[in-house]
Amino acid sequence: MAEIRVEKLVKRFGTVRAIDGLSFEVASGETFGLLGPNGAGKTTTMRVLSGLSPVDSGEVSIAGIDALRDPRAVRCVVGVVTQQDGLDDDLNVRQNLEVFGFLAGLSLRVARRHTREVLDFFGLASRSEDAIDELSGGMKRRLAIARALMIQPRAVILDEPTTGLDPHSRNRVWEELAQLKARGVTILMSTHYMDEAATLCDRIAILDRGRILALDPPLELIEKHTRGDVQELRVTTASHSSVRAELERAGIRWREVGAVFRLNREADPAAVRSIAGTRSEVRRANLEDVFLNLTGRELRDE
Amino acid sequence: MTKRPNQAPAPPMTRPSFLRGIVGIWYRHALALTRVWKVATTWFVIEPACVLLAMGLGVGRLIGTLPTHGEYASFVTPGMIVGMAMYHAIFECSWGAFQRIQSHSVETLLTTPIGIVQLAAGEILWGATRSALSTIAVGGLALGLGWLDPSAFPGVLLVSMLVGVEFGAIGLCFAATAQTTSTLSLIFTIVATPLFFFSGSFFPMEILPRALQIAAWIAPLSPGVHLARGFATHDLHTTHLAAAVYLVLLGAASFPVAVWLLRRKLLR
Ligand SMILES: Nc1ncnc2c1ncn2[C@@H]1O[C@H](COP(=O)(O)OP(=O)(O)O)[C@@H](O)[C@H]1O
Ligand SMILES: [Mg+2]
Repeated sequence: MAEIRVEKLVKRFGTVRAIDGLSFEVASGETFGLLGPNGAGKTTTMRVLSGLSPVDSGEVSIAGIDALRDPRAVRCVVGVVTQQDGLDDDLNVRQNLEVFGFLAGLSLRVARRHTREVLDFFGLASRSEDAIDELSGGMKRRLAIARALMIQPRAVILDEPTTGLDPHSRNRVWEELAQLKARGVTILMSTHYMDEAATLCDRIAILDRGRILALDPPLELIEKHTRGDVQELRVTTASHSSVRAELERAGIRWREVGAVFRLNREADPAAVRSIAGTRSEVRRANLEDVFLNLTGRELRDE
Repeated sequence: MTKRPNQAPAPPMTRPSFLRGIVGIWYRHALALTRVWKVATTWFVIEPACVLLAMGLGVGRLIGTLPTHGEYASFVTPGMIVGMAMYHAIFECSWGAFQRIQSHSVETLLTTPIGIVQLAAGEILWGATRSALSTIAVGGLALGLGWLDPSAFPGVLLVSMLVGVEFGAIGLCFAATAQTTSTLSLIFTIVATPLFFFSGSFFPMEILPRALQIAAWIAPLSPGVHLARGFATHDLHTTHLAAAVYLVLLGAASFPVAVWLLRRKLLR
């Protein structure tokens, strides 16, 4: 059964269509990723689903609740982690969680118990009396996720859970999300990291300008929208302009990404190898390539 | 977290009551205040004590007794108390709320099952609580100095809380519309400070020129000052009833505006 069902959602900011006819379903227990560059509409979508943003049209049902009519009922059973941590600097770690639990309807006694449990789960028990500004960025992010679990949600909505985190903290978040999934919690998350989406998500919707361009499991996306391998030319001693000239002469189309020329699908390997001062490499296609092929732009482009 | 079998989520939590949201916001503020109670004591006691003592002992010594209003210290005390109550509510609901909107912690509160109405009501209730705490501190000092009659205290406290509700709601309106801290500070320069000095706290309004008198009577702090002074002097007339009605109306009218502005700001 679909835990989250979004149908023909449209949301405008002035003349900008931040969400432009979005439809998708997330099955119970599934981890579903919204992958897209900045401005794709990920945050707007998640805010709408959380009842924090009104829409122009469309339907949203979450846990069997009409989310547009009764957003507060949704927030009783769904944990929401917004893009900003939104921690309360005037309270300590434990109080942040207890106040949240109390507002969510827990008695103070139960809120205290859940606080201990989620702090244990996130390995933050020893920090419970600390002030928020004593925490590292990674801990703050994880505390924000812990907060959403205070209500023992059946689904969580996470907006860019690891953006800005160091690799170690990212890995911890990934492990914790994997554990949540193992418990049967439905996860809807957004990210602009393709490796994160590929690692965590059962299915990924590639989002751009408020629309879904493709929706499949990660490997299928790569199979369907790339040729499997990508040929790249790494510049070693040549100048970029001479490489460009050579490629043009050989009739090969390319795209420059830093020190690398990503070559068009049909590039002839022999012609490529003959370009002096470069090294040709072939690697597996990834979700970035899917995005590039679908939009002609990089996932990291603004 | 309690263990539960895969794919079998707990039944939906029952929805918390409407009051829970308001009380929860209030609880958040109370916790935050107790964490800084040492500093907070200075806001509630030292600053207002300075103003009260300077007016009562300093200016009061010079003036002695007013022709129609008795001893100056007793005249100025209820005005000071209500003025301080206003400052506390405004500070909490404009400056405090603005900071918490900017830091996104208000957005977090809205990820619980509460709505904007409860958020606003909780904030304002806390603003009124701070007004009451201020009145307990300043009023306590005035009681000790003999400038306020103990039997007048409950009435003055009630007025302070009504003033707290009113200016809490007005403060929220500013918090919800200000783009920067400098536009936010307008609430102090164009609202709080003029009201503090021209609402009959320091001198009887009758001595103002006629045109200014009307403006001063309409000013939203005036009914609070008038009413508190009525309680302080045990001299209540129909004008005090009118002031009470006006005061309540101001609070009741500001609340929906604050809710509307907050909704526009937070739920976009
Ligand atoms: N409050 C807002 N007012 C006006 N435009 C907005 C607002 N929030 C988002 N947008 C616009 O909506 C689009 C989608 O933004 P957003 O949902 O934040 O994207 P993402 O989270 O994928 O980066 C962008 O074009 C953005 O500029
Ligand atoms: Mg975003």
